Amino acid sequence: MILKRRSSGKIGLNLTSMIDVVFLLLIYFMVATEFKSAEEAFPMDVPLRNEGQTITLDYEPLIILVDSAGDDTSDVRVRLEGPWDALTSLDDLSAFLRKNKASGFGRSGLFTETHPIRVKPTKHTRWEHAIAAYNVVVNAKYSNITLDEPS
Amino acid sequence: MHRRGKPSSAIHANMTPMIDVTFLLIVFFVVVSQIVDRDAVSMDLPLPTDAASEVPPQIEHVTINLVPYANGDVAGIVVGGHTISHGAWEELKAIVQTRLRGGAEEVHLRADKATHYEHIHQVIEAIRELGTSPRLQLIVEGERK
Repeated sequence: MILKRRSSGKIGLNLTSMIDVVFLLLIYFMVATEFKSAEEAFPMDVPLRNEGQTITLDYEPLIILVDSAGDDTSDVRVRLEGPWDALTSLDDLSAFLRKNKASGFGRSGLFTETHPIRVKPTKHTRWEHAIAAYNVVVNAKYSNITLDEPS
Repeated sequence: MHRRGKPSSAIHANMTPMIDVTFLLIVFFVVVSQIVDRDAVSMDLPLPTDAASEVPPQIEHVTINLVPYANGDVAGIVVGGHTISHGAWEELKAIVQTRLRGGAEEVHLRADKATHYEHIHQVIEAIRELGTSPRLQLIVEGERK
């Protein structure tokens, strides 16, 4: 009987093809993965509409009219509906809201924290401008804010 | 001078650490790519200065994406994995209602910063007409701190 001779070299696993596949997978995932950008949000309650019913408000809501004067982030115009002083910028709006806020600790003001405030953009107001006005009101620590129908 | 002899065996690079690191990277990318929110459509979200926005709570929600045109109009709406045309409010309401009945507690509204407000208000009105009064989250880009 003829016996086969054992091969003299060591038995080894050829890793080359596995490394090829692993690198292909790595490149695929690196290219295909889209990292979600950090997103934040402004919470807003959607009030129910009571059709045909008369709602008596304790306070007349403060209505902030918002419009876009251009495509730039800073091209936002705001003004208040009613007999208020004219505003020219979001900074003016912020100052107005802070100045007229009643704190409840002896500081008199026209608006309490829960005073209804409606942000009322026009039909063609850019969303970023509407949000910028909304942000100013939130920053002034008012809590009863809604986005109104477009003017 | 005494000279060292050449080593008899061939020089081989040790591949083990490289394979370890590569596998770690693959596992990382596999895991991360599943975490990414598939409901979110890529768009330029508003980024207000000195934003008072907060990270929304991680609760069950339905995301409404207003896919933008460059001129401020809306090309379509992507909601809950469905793409519907702008103006198909009954379809939108049906999808959102189904998700709310299925356990979703909030509605996330994503719109491009250039989108005209009239389109966004139409969506808010559609949600309002559902009558279930879910909490609405107006999604903005988080400030890079």
